[in-house]
Amino acid sequence: MGNLLGPISGAHVGAILLLALSGLVLIILLILRGRKGPSPPIRPLPAFQDLQDEVGRAAERGETIHIALGSGGLNGEDAVTSLAGLQVVEALADVAVSYNVPPIITVGDPTLLPLIQDLLRRAYERRGLLADYDSGRVRFVAPSPVAYAAGAANVVAAEGVTANVVAGAFGAEVSLITDAGARRDLPQLAAAAAPRAIGALYPVTDRLAVGEELYAAGAYTTGERRYLSSLVAQDILRVILVLLILGAAVVALVGG
Amino acid sequence: MSRLIKQWIPVLIAAITGLVVLAGYLIPSPLLIYYRDRLIEWAVIVAAFAFILGLFNILRVHGGRVVRLRQGWFYSLILLLVAMVAWVPPVLYGPSGTPTRQMLDYVIGPLGASLAALVVFTLALAAFRLLRVRRSAGAVFFILVVAVVLLGSTPLMGLEWLADVRDWIISVPGMAGMRGLLLGVALGTVITALRVFVASDRPHSEF
Repeated sequence: MGNLLGPISGAHVGAILLLALSGLVLIILLILRGRKGPSPPIRPLPAFQDLQDEVGRAAERGETIHIALGSGGLNGEDAVTSLAGLQVVEALADVAVSYNVPPIITVGDPTLLPLIQDLLRRAYERRGLLADYDSGRVRFVAPSPVAYAAGAANVVAAEGVTANVVAGAFGAEVSLITDAGARRDLPQLAAAAAPRAIGALYPVTDRLAVGEELYAAGAYTTGERRYLSSLVAQDILRVILVLLILGAAVVALVGG
Repeated sequence: MSRLIKQWIPVLIAAITGLVVLAGYLIPSPLLIYYRDRLIEWAVIVAAFAFILGLFNILRVHGGRVVRLRQGWFYSLILLLVAMVAWVPPVLYGPSGTPTRQMLDYVIGPLGASLAALVVFTLALAAFRLLRVRRSAGAVFFILVVAVVLLGSTPLMGLEWLADVRDWIISVPGMAGMRGLLLGVALGTVITALRVFVASDRPHSEF
């Protein structure tokens, strides 16, 4: 962090610690509280609503879906974005194995490869179908973002997929992948955090999760309490931040 | 015992490693900084091994396609041949040797640039499709803003005033939207990382 962003001042350290500690306390409190009460309500997000239904549709046609996780890996600044994309795979793995339509998952950083292969393998193991597991469904395409996008576009164009899901670390090059999907009139679901990727994805699909919505993928697709609780913690922190920014703006205005 | 190894050991390693690295950036203690740097070095070594795994994955996927003569097998064959040849110059002449640099400058660089140039066309096509399939106020507004920003960036005679409009769009509503977006992303990043720290999110363990 210090190497990426330059030296960190005392004020920055205080702000980061405060944010991390409040987030930590909120998550723990909400998890403990959530064990008893009903699940917290969440607003609908079109990007993730029909995700599991797409797997069902793919099964009816005897085909599969493609999930592109972008060029992020586990050891760079996109690590957490990639982990958020991973939640999509985690949510779909069991459904896909139940329907016997394992998704084709493409990655642009090989550090994700063993993690996703393991997620898929565990889904097979849970169903007692370990013999059917094929590690070749998870594919490392290329380390360069544009080359990755071109390779993933080829999977969409040539491998008989019935839906295209992009979720993870992308730039504007994501339009190469979605263009391949649009040419085949595939339903496309997208979630991205980078502004360049969002700009490229907006014209392609109305099932788009923008910015922090990507990190809500686990909550929407699995409905698990641990994800829902952290989503609520995220919302509370956001409201506090907005109030702080508004307060600072008012103080600056009044103070001249 | 097996449950302990498969479930809790990976969770503990991830949580402790994450906390040590984070603390090493925030607390100026020489001991923490030493362990932070060692852990990051290990991560780089593990990532290098992951690239070897990635290469085997490519060989397996494309080798299978060539052997079974599936659709696109010829391109897979070319990819395999190139993968076999591309490591020769760096091994024989080093990563900064002339043949290696020539391969990067005259083959990989131009190929990457030409692929990147394609992005412009796919973006333009996406905008055209947007008007065809989603005729909403938002879509029209999006296209209008894109057109103003693009035209405002060109040195066309008589359109100089558009440059001011473009600058205003980028620096006022554009910047405001971007900051809101980045704040949300930062919060999402912190919460997702904290979930791994408190073992609420465990993609790396057999839970």
